[in-house]
Amino acid sequence: MSEIRAIADSFDAILKAKNAEKYTYTLTQSEKQELNIESGSFKLMRTVFNNSGTLKVFSGTKMGNVRGNDITEEGLAKLAEDGLAAAESAEEDPCHDIAPDQGKDVFRQGILEPDMDRFFERTKEFLETVKKEYPKINIMMAMASFDRWHWISRTTNGTEFEGFGGQYGFGLEFSAIDGELTTGMNGCGFSMKDLDTPFIDMCDVRQQLEDTQNSLRTKSVEGKFEGTVVMTPVCVTDFLYMLAGNYMDSSVIINGTSQWLDKVGEKVADEKLTVALNPFDERIIIGERGTQDGFRSENVTLIDHGVLKAHMLNLYASNKTGRPMIKNTSSDLVVEAGEKSFAELIASVDRGLLMGGFSGGQPGANGEFSGVAKNSFLIENGKITEAVMETMVNGNLGDIFANIRGISKEQLCDGSTVVPYIAFDGIIISGK
Amino acid sequence: MLQDVLQSKCALFADGVQTVLRGQENRSRRVVMVKGNLVQNARSEEKGVSARVNRDGKFGFASVAEYSPEAAEKVIKAATENAQLLGRHSDGRIALPASCGTGIIPLNGQIVDVEQKLLIELCRTIDDHIAKTYPDLASRTVVYTEDSLDKIIYTSDAYSGHVVSPRCYVYVMMSAETKDGVPVEMFKAMGGYGSFYDHFTNPETLYPQIEELYKRLMDKKEGVYAEAGYKTVVLGGMMGGMLAHEAVGHTVEADLVRGGSVAGPNLGKRVASDLVTMVDFAHTYNGGRADLPVYLDDEGTKAEDALLIKDGILVGYMNDRESAAEYGMTPVGNARGWNFSDEPLIRMRNTCIMPGKDSVEDLIASVDDGYYLIDSGNGQADLTGEFMFGVTCGYEIKNGKLGRALLDTTVSGVAFDMLKTVDMVSDNVEWCGSGFCGKKQPMAVSMGGPHMRCKIMIGGR
Repeated sequence: MSEIRAIADSFDAILKAKNAEKYTYTLTQSEKQELNIESGSFKLMRTVFNNSGTLKVFSGTKMGNVRGNDITEEGLAKLAEDGLAAAESAEEDPCHDIAPDQGKDVFRQGILEPDMDRFFERTKEFLETVKKEYPKINIMMAMASFDRWHWISRTTNGTEFEGFGGQYGFGLEFSAIDGELTTGMNGCGFSMKDLDTPFIDMCDVRQQLEDTQNSLRTKSVEGKFEGTVVMTPVCVTDFLYMLAGNYMDSSVIINGTSQWLDKVGEKVADEKLTVALNPFDERIIIGERGTQDGFRSENVTLIDHGVLKAHMLNLYASNKTGRPMIKNTSSDLVVEAGEKSFAELIASVDRGLLMGGFSGGQPGANGEFSGVAKNSFLIENGKITEAVMETMVNGNLGDIFANIRGISKEQLCDGSTVVPYIAFDGIIISGK
Repeated sequence: MLQDVLQSKCALFADGVQTVLRGQENRSRRVVMVKGNLVQNARSEEKGVSARVNRDGKFGFASVAEYSPEAAEKVIKAATENAQLLGRHSDGRIALPASCGTGIIPLNGQIVDVEQKLLIELCRTIDDHIAKTYPDLASRTVVYTEDSLDKIIYTSDAYSGHVVSPRCYVYVMMSAETKDGVPVEMFKAMGGYGSFYDHFTNPETLYPQIEELYKRLMDKKEGVYAEAGYKTVVLGGMMGGMLAHEAVGHTVEADLVRGGSVAGPNLGKRVASDLVTMVDFAHTYNGGRADLPVYLDDEGTKAEDALLIKDGILVGYMNDRESAAEYGMTPVGNARGWNFSDEPLIRMRNTCIMPGKDSVEDLIASVDDGYYLIDSGNGQADLTGEFMFGVTCGYEIKNGKLGRALLDTTVSGVAFDMLKTVDMVSDNVEWCGSGFCGKKQPMAVSMGGPHMRCKIMIGGR
């Protein structure tokens, strides 16, 4: 993975020979080593050597975007040809652009040389611990992977970023089985830059395994009521991505369907809520360093104590709408911790749910959501009681983020996001 | 299209192991127009070669982003070493599954590429038509999307062949505002198996479907929230297809059965009313080509139909070679990988609940107080068969007649409970072949279903 700079030089020469005057590209070489576990046993060892070349190229103000994995001289020539043909076919639109010169830089993140023997041992240790300490847990599938990559990104405005990165990842899907009783599927995952901690002690793995074992016997909520839903960090992350998609993303600002279209600078959420995209947070292993438009990435606060600070506009959407862009195209989500402990949050709820997952679609443009509460428990009089099944939750994204009862002190750090538990009031909970 | 450079490397297949060598190219094309602005104009091509070696039930897999005889040699060697490595780290040997036949599957079609210019012109023509015909829309998006797979497969003890799978679709999304200024939206996918020239040479043929979409959006603009609870509903064909895929299909994938799905203890038992029969079709439905024909899977199994539920009784699973041996079934071609670098997993193909004898009109007329649920945006299901589908288009039914439109809602239930409540099934099937299924890797899938009267949980205010 050492030739990438020479390949980039060659690509520049190809593009110049084809009279491409304005472009940006990223070339990546990557390796993956992945151990797959099925039903608790080693099943498949997978090695992937891959390449990628993405090119955004202009013909005047017409833009074409192409991607391929052949970065040989011949492959890059074809990529350049296809990109220019796509640009020629496009329509004039001066809003398409690339970042001005951002200088040159080299980034190194994560771990570049893995200890695969130790990785195998950690994985074995995890499987043995689960078998011994959580006997009803059935590990349906697990993946222990090490990914490493080397990339270079250049623009005709002079920017050159080069990156080296690598990380271990571990993810699993599991259920609990007791005779003919089976729970639904649960899952968790995290990434690491070292192997110092046993996997069983990472993130909330123990809690998830314990919760799943406690979900073998379930009940459906009776009737319908408005209650408080305490979402786990994984669930909060899903809801925040839905919120971003419906209220802050470039596409909903361009087409004008966002409910927060003209709300920048205004209070849109509860004052306890602060949400940021922070690629430079030290808890995030591989943070974004260059945006998809070619800018140097920056930490960006989207919601500060309930006030909307920015839409998540890329360069094109910014030029198209005349609104400010952010120099961040990452999903490096960091939600500020609250003042109450998780236990205090639960104790404050008269009737509601602890919700570990949400099975529902992207809400409509109006923010209305409805779906099934997965891996969830009933909360009654401040205590977690029974696991629930066939229980639906309904509400409105904008409304629930304006109606936060509390945010936990505890934050879950899985290597790519940092998120606490959040208790939302005013959610409709209904059973069969 | 791929040229065969792999055949000579079959000589490297070792004795005593099962080897599959696969060369593959994935192509995609995408044009997105939002309110008349061309916001995406993208093409991508990825190709490479992979090998999978099964040694004593431990699989080694390797892939390289290069399609050449040299790359084939490399991946066979690396996959063999990976299988050996795994053998050293684990105990026990599993007997290799028996061969289910050998031979050559002939090439089933062509991948026809078109200039990006034509794709942009198509989207522009459709967008201009919508802007001119429906000026009261709050926003509109037109998307052209195309994905094709081209695979050359060689195996040590199964079928080999060269197979292609091209499909292309135009999505139209519209949104309008209610009288309170709240946006509502709907979308429609149009297209199918084949290339641009098979579906889009005359955009005007799409206009009737766009008109129907607009009318339904105008109904939805005046729509109401469903009343939450356990209701009698008529599920439209698209919802029936979603049910077949999400709620039942996943639970009868043998790897999920092994993982503890509800289908495990229910094989041979009643899981639905006797009006329900469900099949995962390989390549042919009702004498014609299925939406997403599969002739050969990525383990070299010749594709045939998988009968899953017959007259309400669960009779089979979808398998790969190993799980078929484990459950005493015959593999029929469900092991597929999405990219050259993906190992094959058990995946659905054209999964369908079979039609019955009632007319759609009779189904609707039979409901005093319930809902007609026509279209779904997405769905998910669990090992237990507990499912959720988003409903993007639906109407009230009052005294056997359609009433007000519904705003977006969700339905849920437990598949094997809900299917026992099916008491009327329509005589037609609607298919949707534009979908992707997510299960470690994405996969193109098709689903179909009739209208069904049943009881289901519906979410609402």
